[in-house]
Amino acid sequence: MLEMNDISRVYRTDLVETHALRGLSLSVEAGEFVAVTGPSGSGKTTFLNIAGLLETATSGSYMLDGKDVSKLSDNERSRIRNEKIGFIFQSFNLIPDLNIFDNVDVPLRYRGFNGNERRERIERALEQVGLASRMRHLPSQLSGGQQQRAAIARALAGDPAFLLADEPTGNLDSLMARQVMDLLEQINQNGTTIVMVTHDPELARRAHRNVQLLDGKIATSNPFTPQADVADIAEPAMQPVA
Amino acid sequence: MEIRPILSAMWRNRTGSVLVAVQIALTLAIVVNCMFMAKSRIEFIARPSGMDIENIITAQSLGFGSDYRHDETIDADLRALRALPGVIAVTPASGIPMSGSGSATGYKTSMDEDAPRETANYYRFDEHAEQALGVKIIEGRGFTELEVRRADDENYDRMPPQVIITKAYAERLFGDEPALGQLIYDGLNESAEVVGIIEHQYGAWVHWSSFDNVMWFPQRQEGPSIRYIIRAEPGQRDALIPVVEQTMQELNSSSRLVRNVRTMEETVATSYEGDFAIASTLIVAIILLFVITGLGIVGLASFTVRQRTKQIGTRRAIGARKRDIIRYFLTENWLMTTIGIVIGTVLTISLNYALATAFEIERLNYVYLVIGMGMLWLLGFVAVAEPARRASNVSPAVATRTV
Repeated sequence: MLEMNDISRVYRTDLVETHALRGLSLSVEAGEFVAVTGPSGSGKTTFLNIAGLLETATSGSYMLDGKDVSKLSDNERSRIRNEKIGFIFQSFNLIPDLNIFDNVDVPLRYRGFNGNERRERIERALEQVGLASRMRHLPSQLSGGQQQRAAIARALAGDPAFLLADEPTGNLDSLMARQVMDLLEQINQNGTTIVMVTHDPELARRAHRNVQLLDGKIATSNPFTPQADVADIAEPAMQPVA
Repeated sequence: MEIRPILSAMWRNRTGSVLVAVQIALTLAIVVNCMFMAKSRIEFIARPSGMDIENIITAQSLGFGSDYRHDETIDADLRALRALPGVIAVTPASGIPMSGSGSATGYKTSMDEDAPRETANYYRFDEHAEQALGVKIIEGRGFTELEVRRADDENYDRMPPQVIITKAYAERLFGDEPALGQLIYDGLNESAEVVGIIEHQYGAWVHWSSFDNVMWFPQRQEGPSIRYIIRAEPGQRDALIPVVEQTMQELNSSSRLVRNVRTMEETVATSYEGDFAIASTLIVAIILLFVITGLGIVGLASFTVRQRTKQIGTRRAIGARKRDIIRYFLTENWLMTTIGIVIGTVLTISLNYALATAFEIERLNYVYLVIGMGMLWLLGFVAVAEPARRASNVSPAVATRTV
């Protein structure tokens, strides 16, 4: 499903270069539920951005669903994001001026589906996350948990090859977080691959596999292993440009 | 096209959009009416005069003192001016057409005291007037040398027996009847025969409704003031101005003043100064309104792009291409502009109706409304293009930033 080989990402400014990822290699099989953990600055967000084709790696190769996606054009990356990847963001990232129906509709319009197909997909996805009765509500009229479920519906409506979740419960209280995790587990049990970035060891335990990042590299990759205590792990190295 | 969700989003953030739509509406109403009025002024200024204004120089001689001899001075001036290289023709004149200064009186077509009179702006010219003004006599003839009365002629105060009139004046006097050979009468019932019809010539006052009621008498203006209309060969006019002045000064500088040696274009421009100022002011107002409205659109679009950076990043993350983002902003702006234009159309027509009723100006030609709409749509497109391009460059990675 997802295979990264020797991925590096370097951010350069006039004064410093920051190595966010250093030769990271990771393989995720179809149907897996993988938690990517690590302390702040370990490279989780950079990994997520590259895995989700939101940015490109400085070097290395990335195969997604059997296709090399590391050298694609901006338009091609947009198309693959739209068709193969479902995003779930920590802050939900719903468009506040659109109701839930229209929010779920946004990626489907970019996909070019006709009105009837879009409607069917939206209703099915909202049904799946238990928000069918709230489709005409604005995001501001929903609780945080409901908003995240709406965001999950938006991610699912296009039948993606896998879901990329960025701290999906980071802005939720424990009860809502549990409901969202239950929903993700259920989605995964239905066959959708999920890669979830989190710093919460409790959430990571619910994944099939825990990949721990440290200084832009994989420190451990263990099935059903809770995350190590990462409180003392240093930020990634900042090196002056020669 | 995602028009419904865009309209829905615009409605929920309507303050800025409504203000800009109202600005567009007002701009359309004002710009279209200003354009129409400016065009009317410009057309008014550009009316064909019938004369070769571009090549005409005018000059004035003002005699003084007991030694001044009016007819002798005119004779000498005409001889010298007509001999100048580059001069086509010269006529002494009682006034300069389109100068804002002239004489007029009413004439009738019968001796009947109650016969209606039609006012004409009259000029005293000699036999060179047709050439000197560059007008075209389409019927009859010009004056002959013998017909032209000198200022010292004993019958000077009586109406000369021949006149030349413009076609427009002929039609107002005689209707469909041929005017050539007909007699016209002044208030004392002295008559003159129409010996020539001028195709077209304007008189003294550019804002007079019967501006083309013009009549020529074969006379020299009595002293001590005389004007000359000097027609130069094309391209010679400006070089001749100092030569004309110097020639006249050399002929007689002891008992007359030579003044106002200038192009007829300057004279005409002075007459149209007010109209030109109105047209210029309207055009400047149109440009300023467009600039202000354009800046308003740019400001709102730039603000919304900044405000929606995260939303744009999210749209990009879930599959929008750069061109989808550009299209979103162009569509949103097009909708806002169109709403403004629809409201503005009603305002434009209402404003024109009010102006036409209050000031008796011409009713709006709707072509100008269509031009105004097109210009505002284009303005909206151009104004939003750069903010939309900036929006399309927002990285999809912005979606994963938590701040």
